[in-house]
Amino acid sequence: MHGMHRRDVLKLAGAAGVAATGPWWRVGRSQAQRAKKLVFWHLPNFTPLADQLQKEQVYEFAAKHAGLKESEVEYAVVAGEQANAKLAASIEAGNPPDVIRLYESNVQFYGAQGHLIDLTDQVNKMRREPKGIFESSMAAVLYKGRALGVPLAVNPWPVHARLDLLEQAKVEYPKTWDEFIEVSKKIQSPPRLFAFGMCLGLVEDTTDNVMNLLWCYGGKMVESDNKTVVMNSAANVAGVKTIEAMFKTHKIIPQGAISWDNSGNNKAYQSRQAAFVMNPSSIYAYLDSNDKDLQKKTGLFPVPAGPKGTVNQIDTWSYGAFKKNPYPDIAKGLIEYFMQPANYDRIIQSTGGRWVPVYKRLFDSPFWREKPEFKHFINMAETGVPVSYAGSPTAAAGEVLNTHVIPKMIQRVLVDNWEAAKALEECDKRINEIYARHNKA
Amino acid sequence: MPRTRSGSRRLLKWIGNVLLVLLLVWTLVPFYWMIVTSLKPDREIYGFEATLYPHQPTLAGYARVFTTTPFLKYVRNSAIIAGANTLASLLFGCLGAYALARLRFPGRALIARGLVVSYLVPPALLFIPLFAVLSVLRLIDTHQGLILTYFSFSVPFSTWLLMGYFHSVPLELEEAALVDGCGRLGTLFRIILPMSLPALAVVAFFAFTQSWNEFLYANVFVNSVEVRTITTGLTLFIVEDVFFWGPMMGAAFLSALPPLVVYLIFQRWVVKGLTLGAVKG
Repeated sequence: MHGMHRRDVLKLAGAAGVAATGPWWRVGRSQAQRAKKLVFWHLPNFTPLADQLQKEQVYEFAAKHAGLKESEVEYAVVAGEQANAKLAASIEAGNPPDVIRLYESNVQFYGAQGHLIDLTDQVNKMRREPKGIFESSMAAVLYKGRALGVPLAVNPWPVHARLDLLEQAKVEYPKTWDEFIEVSKKIQSPPRLFAFGMCLGLVEDTTDNVMNLLWCYGGKMVESDNKTVVMNSAANVAGVKTIEAMFKTHKIIPQGAISWDNSGNNKAYQSRQAAFVMNPSSIYAYLDSNDKDLQKKTGLFPVPAGPKGTVNQIDTWSYGAFKKNPYPDIAKGLIEYFMQPANYDRIIQSTGGRWVPVYKRLFDSPFWREKPEFKHFINMAETGVPVSYAGSPTAAAGEVLNTHVIPKMIQRVLVDNWEAAKALEECDKRINEIYARHNKA
Repeated sequence: MPRTRSGSRRLLKWIGNVLLVLLLVWTLVPFYWMIVTSLKPDREIYGFEATLYPHQPTLAGYARVFTTTPFLKYVRNSAIIAGANTLASLLFGCLGAYALARLRFPGRALIARGLVVSYLVPPALLFIPLFAVLSVLRLIDTHQGLILTYFSFSVPFSTWLLMGYFHSVPLELEEAALVDGCGRLGTLFRIILPMSLPALAVVAFFAFTQSWNEFLYANVFVNSVEVRTITTGLTLFIVEDVFFWGPMMGAAFLSALPPLVVYLIFQRWVVKGLTLGAVKG
């Protein structure tokens, strides 16, 4: 610090401060000055064909309906796993994409922060199509009565079941969870083959799998007011005890399932080490292109019933459009173009069953009618509920999902040997904190 | 007690050798696993028994890498960005390190300490501010934007490392050159740098591998295929909850080759540089 005085240091610090913060003053202008008039971030679909079709539709719309040159369109492929970090940075910098596919809790999260364009008109137009759309998908996009996203696809969570093993054991697909346990014991041959590839690791799929079973026992996480948390209930205790029995007593779930990531159940089924898994049809679509033999042996079924019947999970992906966009009409136009039933149907069918259409009438096509494995999908799409049931997929529900509160609860029971009631009490408290904080905000 | 001492030495040598073998296994097994996985068909990858070598070797994974992805474009982009960053790190690192090591000016000590501090700031804290800066400069989704970003961590590191090494070069040599009429830059390029080749090799190697392997900034700042690097291209082999292991491992293996080649070229100097320059200053 030779020859430097306090004043010099202060001057230097001031200059550094201006240099560091300077760009922020201009961030707002950077969006308006951009060269591209349409920026679409594409999260890969399940098949290359679907990706290709979607890309073609973006450029078709841009050229024919928006009068844009190719150089005025940015079509970016963003890996799904990394999309959240990228999106967060771009929003913070005032430079988000115009249109992107969003998961249900993200619609609520960004919607609550005021980032998303109101797309109610576009959704109403879809509702006016013959037979309309599956209203179950609306929970994902409605925020304070307005649609802040356009439901793109319903995503049922069927049980993928090995038909060949059922046939060998001369048993039918089980109708109830009690039957499920008995059938499982008959068809499994551990350690090579476990019956139930239930995800129990500290990941999102565990919340999905656990809650789906608890619903069948009458349990739920939160009431429909999105305020009253009801995790600590007798119904949930009964459901958790069933999972505990399947894991510890009947041993139909592999012990390693407690350390699985979201792909654990996929891998177990794809490697023929599990006879049943509850998962979106990404497994089925994978088999379609990589293991036709196993695909032929696979059936897609509703979950077995508990004391309160069968409840099936769906999640909903949507298109969202960001407000920080000097050309909002082009963004809305692109979404409408995607959702024109003819355009839309081509993409949905090209995903090989991965996406289920939101338009009811598209189920009339031979693609959905002729394959027996899809016969339950229409009912699942009609009656399915989100993981936040009986609440909506709000930002609070998204935090519960992302912070693995429910997986921690089930691991308290399976790993730490806590009583179900005690684990649920702790879980209830944690979820209450999350909901209270979000509702206060 | 010479026998006992010799026995102890032998025992220590044995323990050392065993540890080295364990470390070697620890380091090489992931590479081996990556290579054999890239050569297995899906059914074998997902099979109940993990196979130590591919029972039905296939190049389908590699075929998929080259037919379904613009892998060579990713390689090109990574090479452009890592190459440019390496050259810039060498140039600015040398100039900065020489100035800090040899010249006397106000704030020198502060800048020298700032180099270390700036290198220690976690990238996760910087990606949003940097995104804002690049947006304003219209450098999002450009090679230049990513190169400029990588400067922010490779130049401080290079400068800091070279500074330590330059201190080890005898001052008398420089003074002799200056007396003989050589200017500052002449002294740097004719006297200091030829004596610092090991340190330059370390800088080049680190700058190259850091840029080549970097993921977070490349993921956030790049959108298009024309600029996408290998690390972010690899993630496209994960679609939702399904991993396409064969092609992903094939691409990962191929992407590990260039840094390996660079390392083999500079190995002799790198080792020397690490044992000399890095501990001085």
